[in-house]
Amino acid sequence: MRLIAILLAFFVALPAHAQGIQQTKGDYEDKFRQLDEVLPDPNVYRNASGAPGFRYWQQQADYRITADLDENNRRLTAKATITYKNNSPDTLPWIWMQLDQNIFKKDSMAELTNTFGGPGRRGPAVSAGGGGAPARLSMEELRRQQAMEDNSYGYDITRVSLTNGRELSHTIVGTLMRIDLATPLRPGQSVSFNIDWAFNIVEENVIVARSGYEHFPDDPREGGNDIFLFAQWFPRLVAYSDYEGWHNKEFLGRGEFTLEFGDYDVTMRVPNDHIVSSTGVLTNPSAVLTPTQRQRLAQARNADAPVFIVTPEEAEANESSNPTGVKTWRYTAKNVRDFAWATSRKFAWDAQGHKQPGAANETVMAMSFYPKEGGELWQKYSTAAVVHTMKVYSRFSFDYPYPTAQSVNGPVGGMEYPMITFNGPRTNLNEDGSRTYSESEKVFLVGVVIHEIGHIYFPMTVNSDERQWTWMDEGINSFLDSVAGYEWDPDMPWTRSLPRDLIPYMTSTNQVPIMTHSDSVLNLGPNAYGKPSAAYHMLRDTIIGRERFDFALREYARRWKFKRPTPADFFRTIEEASGTDLDWFWRGWFYTTDHVDISLDTIHRLRLDTENPDIDLTRRRDELAGEPEKVGVRLNREQGLPIWVLENPGVTDFYDENDQFTVTPRDVKSYESFLEGLEDWERKVFDRAIDEDKNYYVLNFSNKGGLVMPIILGLTFADGTSERMMIPAEIWRRNSRNVSKLLVFPKDKELASVEVDPDWETADADISNNHYPRKIIDSRVEAFKRPAPTSRTGRDLMAEVLVPDLEDAEADTDDEAATEGSE
Amino acid sequence: MIRALALMLALLLAVPAAAHEQKVTITTVAHNPRTGLVEVVHRIPLHDAEHALKTQGDTSPDIVNDIASRRAFARYVAERFAIVRDGKPIALTLLGTEIESGRLLVLQEGPSPGRGAEISVLSKVLTDVWARQENRVNLGTGTSVDTLIFVAGDRAKTAVLP
Repeated sequence: MRLIAILLAFFVALPAHAQGIQQTKGDYEDKFRQLDEVLPDPNVYRNASGAPGFRYWQQQADYRITADLDENNRRLTAKATITYKNNSPDTLPWIWMQLDQNIFKKDSMAELTNTFGGPGRRGPAVSAGGGGAPARLSMEELRRQQAMEDNSYGYDITRVSLTNGRELSHTIVGTLMRIDLATPLRPGQSVSFNIDWAFNIVEENVIVARSGYEHFPDDPREGGNDIFLFAQWFPRLVAYSDYEGWHNKEFLGRGEFTLEFGDYDVTMRVPNDHIVSSTGVLTNPSAVLTPTQRQRLAQARNADAPVFIVTPEEAEANESSNPTGVKTWRYTAKNVRDFAWATSRKFAWDAQGHKQPGAANETVMAMSFYPKEGGELWQKYSTAAVVHTMKVYSRFSFDYPYPTAQSVNGPVGGMEYPMITFNGPRTNLNEDGSRTYSESEKVFLVGVVIHEIGHIYFPMTVNSDERQWTWMDEGINSFLDSVAGYEWDPDMPWTRSLPRDLIPYMTSTNQVPIMTHSDSVLNLGPNAYGKPSAAYHMLRDTIIGRERFDFALREYARRWKFKRPTPADFFRTIEEASGTDLDWFWRGWFYTTDHVDISLDTIHRLRLDTENPDIDLTRRRDELAGEPEKVGVRLNREQGLPIWVLENPGVTDFYDENDQFTVTPRDVKSYESFLEGLEDWERKVFDRAIDEDKNYYVLNFSNKGGLVMPIILGLTFADGTSERMMIPAEIWRRNSRNVSKLLVFPKDKELASVEVDPDWETADADISNNHYPRKIIDSRVEAFKRPAPTSRTGRDLMAEVLVPDLEDAEADTDDEAATEGSE
Repeated sequence: MIRALALMLALLLAVPAAAHEQKVTITTVAHNPRTGLVEVVHRIPLHDAEHALKTQGDTSPDIVNDIASRRAFARYVAERFAIVRDGKPIALTLLGTEIESGRLLVLQEGPSPGRGAEISVLSKVLTDVWARQENRVNLGTGTSVDTLIFVAGDRAKTAVLP
């Protein structure tokens, strides 16, 4: 018993120590407490203003790789010489590598921990059943299980040695491999070593991956064709950083990558009828391209629109081709954190030079590679979207930092790598053989190309840690892709992450703060993409202002270009470059699951007393007269009950002739004495205030959602004019639940109504408490049913209660939809 | 234990190659005191809706511009969402659809059991299509909502209508 009691006491006491400073009396909550105690201490590597410190360092990993594609057996065999430079102040006895392909091994941590029917699972449909319902497996799940059973996936590492041939001891731990060095690597030293490996390529649609092959069985070539996408295809250095040492966190599929920069020289040997798209610059075009293709490529450099290097007709003709040998393509890339490529005989290829005068890469080749399934959708919009992205993103960061920017169509819906992105949208094949696409597929293509090309800025160049913090690159990128989207066409139905879009998510329960590890986040889309994006829209357009926010974001991008920022570096840079203390904002939006709901509860109107009894007592008399009659008195009158004083008119005294508001000599004397008692300056102030007789209003607000935010007010006056006012969030600093604000207007400006957040800027969850006087706010369903809805697009009434004559209405709505589609 | 062996195969067609769906819907269920009705608003990413229609055999779905596509999807949503009160499903009228910021809104209403009523809710929207599909059902509107979360295989969940 004693032991139990001691243990209990220990556990009970623990949280208090773990939580640091606490308010232990009352329920006061300091939403403005500075983040110092939460953020890591600044040091010589990362300074207190969020910039790289004066001893900032990062490792360098250079690769020379030769890879052979065995198309028939869908196997890649490769060897690399890797040179690793230790720029850290530490001596390293070993090196860790990432073996991402090992995620597809049957006994990988990802496979073993995949919950059956649980949330967040990557893969085909299953359901756990229970409560009398049978468990269910989909055909796709069975197909995946069979593929896993029939194939051996993951890396076959066949050699790890120094360049002099001496074998290096190595230990594989899931998706990681430790290589023990012959001699510890001292600061400033480099080591070169060889790795040989091979792996069977997964079928992306079957296994569900970020790369792999896609098979096209209906192509004219016997056996069909494939598109191969290669990513996470070589052993990559685990990052070694000043804040975590080796980042040995198993690859579980969702948390993406934490990587080092380096130079690459990669040789791919593929069937000689393939076209290769890759990170980097093609160094041997004369060996792999025809003279015509080279001439077209040269023409594309200075073209105003995409030029075909391989036309769709040529690509379609290639679909029936059979290789007669192997072609060796060689690509080099400087200062990239990763390397990916794609190859197929199905690819059409177009290109357009994007000009950046004065930049390190003055001409960037924007290029797209796609099969006939991409068709007109890709011809019209892919490369155009690549160019548009660079134009917009460079304004917010830096010149596009590489010589190429590519969009490749394959089985992956959307994924980014340096200079190359994989994007999934396609046309639909109709029964008559034509190919068409829907408007939302077009929106998706333009949107995903912008988003993935945008990733070449964040995190391919501003190298944040994706495995740990998805939100760091996805948040900025979702914010910027919406900025770029609106500059493309503001009327397109983008799935955007504006504050108003996030309300249903932010009010829902069972969510986690943005500051949650990538692999543990629930609802990754709204959590890591939507919510931070909404937060940046708010910082830019509402809290900081465009000029200073854009300056701060550019400064963050500039400081951390080709470097590795952490969340603290981001928070500190935006604060100090914009000159705005945002600890309250980061704390609320990134560290909690509160939402926004500010209520305007009451408004009191005030009028300054003149102290002059002639004036003030008359006002009091008028106020009393304005009060409603006492109900009992009214009922007595209606009942005809006699009133004594009326029935005895002859009996009167002083009080019948003078009410309580009659000015007495005493009142006058008191007023005179008040005036005499004023100092000169007080008299001056008093006289002026009485003369101006301004309107005073006290507005009482309550914070029902928890997040402290600026209070944005739309003020409408009795004379029909209106004003807008923003009260900074700091009004909540001493009381985060209830605040009052005095507003003063000239005598002729009488307040008629007030609305909180009239433009829906702050994700305020309940607008019914935003109005004074209160308004009945239509529910979403009521708004839908209104005869003439405002700002509604694509409404289609289906219910017979709303559409008395369904056939006529169907004709109407068809017309309506057709009109919207053509606008 | 025997039940664990009784696997049933879901009769699904292959999911189209071009994935990248968001696989999250949010539905709001609220009692409207002005009308005495329970109102249901489903928000589904447009792109997810189209890809789901492909799995149902529509080769060229177009949710924005093709009313037939959109209505087919709205009916699919209505069929896979239910509110039950005292063992009986509440008859929800399918009011129609609307496009809002890249999402398709599907709107329904029906007689409300009233605030404080215990109801059972089940959302199976798209859980037959994607394993990762997660449907959030917010009960109530404004600042205080209760959220029910549904993934594939879930059965109805009980809650109080705020």
